[in-house]
Amino acid sequence: MAVPLRYNLRNLVVRWRSTITTALGIALVVAVFVMVMSLARGLAATYISTGDPRNLLVLRKGSTAESSSQITRDEVRQIRYLAGIERDAAGEPIASPEIQVLVQMERIDKTGTAHVLVRGLGLVGIELRPQIKIREGRMFRQGLNECIVSQRIAQRFTHCRIGDRFAGGKAQWTVVGIFDAAKTAYESEIWLDADEARDAFNRSFYGSILLRPIADAAAVATLTNRIEFNRDLSVRVLPETEYYKEQTNTGAPIQFLGSFLAIIMSIGAVFSAMNTMYATVGARIREIGTLRVLGYKRRDIYVSFMIESVLLALLGGALGCVFSLPMNGIATGTLSWNSFTEVAFEFRITGELLLKGMAFALVMGMLGGLLPARLAARKPVLDALRSI
Amino acid sequence: MTIPGFILRNALRNKRRLGLTVLSVALSLFLFTTLQTALHELTQPPTSEDAALRIVVRNKVSLANVLPAKYRSRLERMPGVRHVMKLTWFGGIYKDKANFFPQFAVDSEQLFPVFSEAEIDAKQIQDFLKEKNACVVGNKTMERFGWKIGDRITLQGTLWPCDPELIIRGVYRKGIDMTNLFFHHEYFDELMGNKGLVGTYWIRAENADSVSDLIERIDRTFANSDAETKTETERAFQLGFVSMFGNIKVLLGSISTVIVFTMILVTASTMSMAIRERSREIAILKAVGFDGWQIFGLILAESFGLAVAGGVIGCGGAAFLYRNIDIYSLSHGVLLKLDVTPAILAAGMTVAAILGIVSCLMPAYTSIQTTVVAGLKELD
Repeated sequence: MAVPLRYNLRNLVVRWRSTITTALGIALVVAVFVMVMSLARGLAATYISTGDPRNLLVLRKGSTAESSSQITRDEVRQIRYLAGIERDAAGEPIASPEIQVLVQMERIDKTGTAHVLVRGLGLVGIELRPQIKIREGRMFRQGLNECIVSQRIAQRFTHCRIGDRFAGGKAQWTVVGIFDAAKTAYESEIWLDADEARDAFNRSFYGSILLRPIADAAAVATLTNRIEFNRDLSVRVLPETEYYKEQTNTGAPIQFLGSFLAIIMSIGAVFSAMNTMYATVGARIREIGTLRVLGYKRRDIYVSFMIESVLLALLGGALGCVFSLPMNGIATGTLSWNSFTEVAFEFRITGELLLKGMAFALVMGMLGGLLPARLAARKPVLDALRSI
Repeated sequence: MTIPGFILRNALRNKRRLGLTVLSVALSLFLFTTLQTALHELTQPPTSEDAALRIVVRNKVSLANVLPAKYRSRLERMPGVRHVMKLTWFGGIYKDKANFFPQFAVDSEQLFPVFSEAEIDAKQIQDFLKEKNACVVGNKTMERFGWKIGDRITLQGTLWPCDPELIIRGVYRKGIDMTNLFFHHEYFDELMGNKGLVGTYWIRAENADSVSDLIERIDRTFANSDAETKTETERAFQLGFVSMFGNIKVLLGSISTVIVFTMILVTASTMSMAIRERSREIAILKAVGFDGWQIFGLILAESFGLAVAGGVIGCGGAAFLYRNIDIYSLSHGVLLKLDVTPAILAAGMTVAAILGIVSCLMPAYTSIQTTVVAGLKELD
């Protein structure tokens, strides 16, 4: 026969002061865990949402990021007209040779500078990324040194409002549009015309080619082989989605920080839960004796105190989740070691993360209740009744 | 019984609770110390006299844009300049991506004059200079991969399309980042078939007074050229790197605050538990003539002692631990070392002291307010 749950609930309410302090302690641990992990999650989600599974990306062999890749104009010519690449209405291949350069820009909040990825591309490249929507202003036009910047970049860096001009290479670029990239990695980029970029930044080569193969697995494989095994070409081909998945390792240090904090802080929180449970057991020894006389078994007492500890921890976990929620969607940025550029992303608190936080609280409650509950269950009945 | 003895007895009456509380305070302060130290390491690169003399010249557009090779002779001719060295980030892979360590192509003759604080055998410098594909490596990286002098290693270029095959000819210790690998810029130029790929120029100025003037003169000299420069001191250059990572200060700072807050909660809750269970004794103390302030003093002393004990274990433990473990290999090269400075220790102990005071305020206030009669009636 189990001790009624109401007994535990009422006890938590009666001792509200220690209930609140202990629950708050656990809440803060859970909140820190969820927040730091939501940073890593947001960063990963940004990259994973970027690639289009239908596209292939061509990079130089050995390079790990577009910004460090080089593809010669000759290679571009050879690859563009290979069979197996989709053609548009005008019969031109849907392949976008692009150039990526880094430009140092100043942060709006005056905390220093960061490298921003500038992508030079043509019309085909824009069509290959339908998730980009111009929110303010218009698309850049060729021949005028115009550019469009993402909303995130416009919010974070100086000289990125419509009509502003900034220096990049030999040219001055005018911002004519601000685009929304649907939370993809393009949110961290500035776009302008590929030919103008090659000229302004003195580049004789491109960085990458994004192309759309014919939607047929065999054709994709043939095309890939044709490019990779061509000795004249020192390039590699990979699905665009895979490229962006590789970039997610940028979040590894954040994940490490999150786990490290969570482990150490949770030990502290378990100690505090143990303290509270010991105190609550100590104060209720006579009640425990009474329960035993009424016929409740040692096991029932044990389970009852464990439940109480878990309830306490879950209360804390729920509070912690609530504390962390306001961080959801807040934008931030960090340096990607692969591309050496600023990646903008946001805290992303998912249901799964909240569940993990609750599970974490549950474990803390169980560990904290283990010893005190055992102590309560082992008290001899007579001793318990006699104690004051 | 003396007053200190009385306080000590009270603190020790429930050893389990005391132990748990001291340990949870200690853990929190351990974490606090760790975060503050990491923050310090990341935002305050160590400075030395030599570092104050060094200036970094890079392309104004970004670090990924190179500078022309001809700038070197122009820089060398400037008054106030003692040494000029090309330094280009290579960023290759040694066998696996996870084996990351910094690699640079440098003007080999200038390397040790510019980084004069690095300790290396003079004979090894000679060997390094003699051979085209020789390299020198910091002792940390040598130990990490178990390399010996004379070993051959191949780096696979990611940024640059070439794979240098190098022979280790020297090991340096101390002074500069002990994880770096340096090899000849001439070899790099040869592999690339291009002499014009210079990432940065590092300059050692004649004296510290001329540094700021020199920085200005360099940028003025190359203004309005194809490759305009951005020149800054080594320190400013390193801090610029840190700021690229985003707001680490805010992140680590706010986590530290949360930890301190959690600690206050935990300690305050323990103190109030400890005091509530002896409300009858406190009432008796009052009855025999102790006044409110004396009782507050007793409670404060106990709480203060508890927090400070936690502080000593936590901060001291962190300092001891980080002095004795190899944080470099544990963090996979992210952190070179965690040096708990006296200032951080002092900050940690101050937090502990404040914690001891703040956490006893509420329970002490309640117990002082309680009348003797009410206190005697109380049950638990």
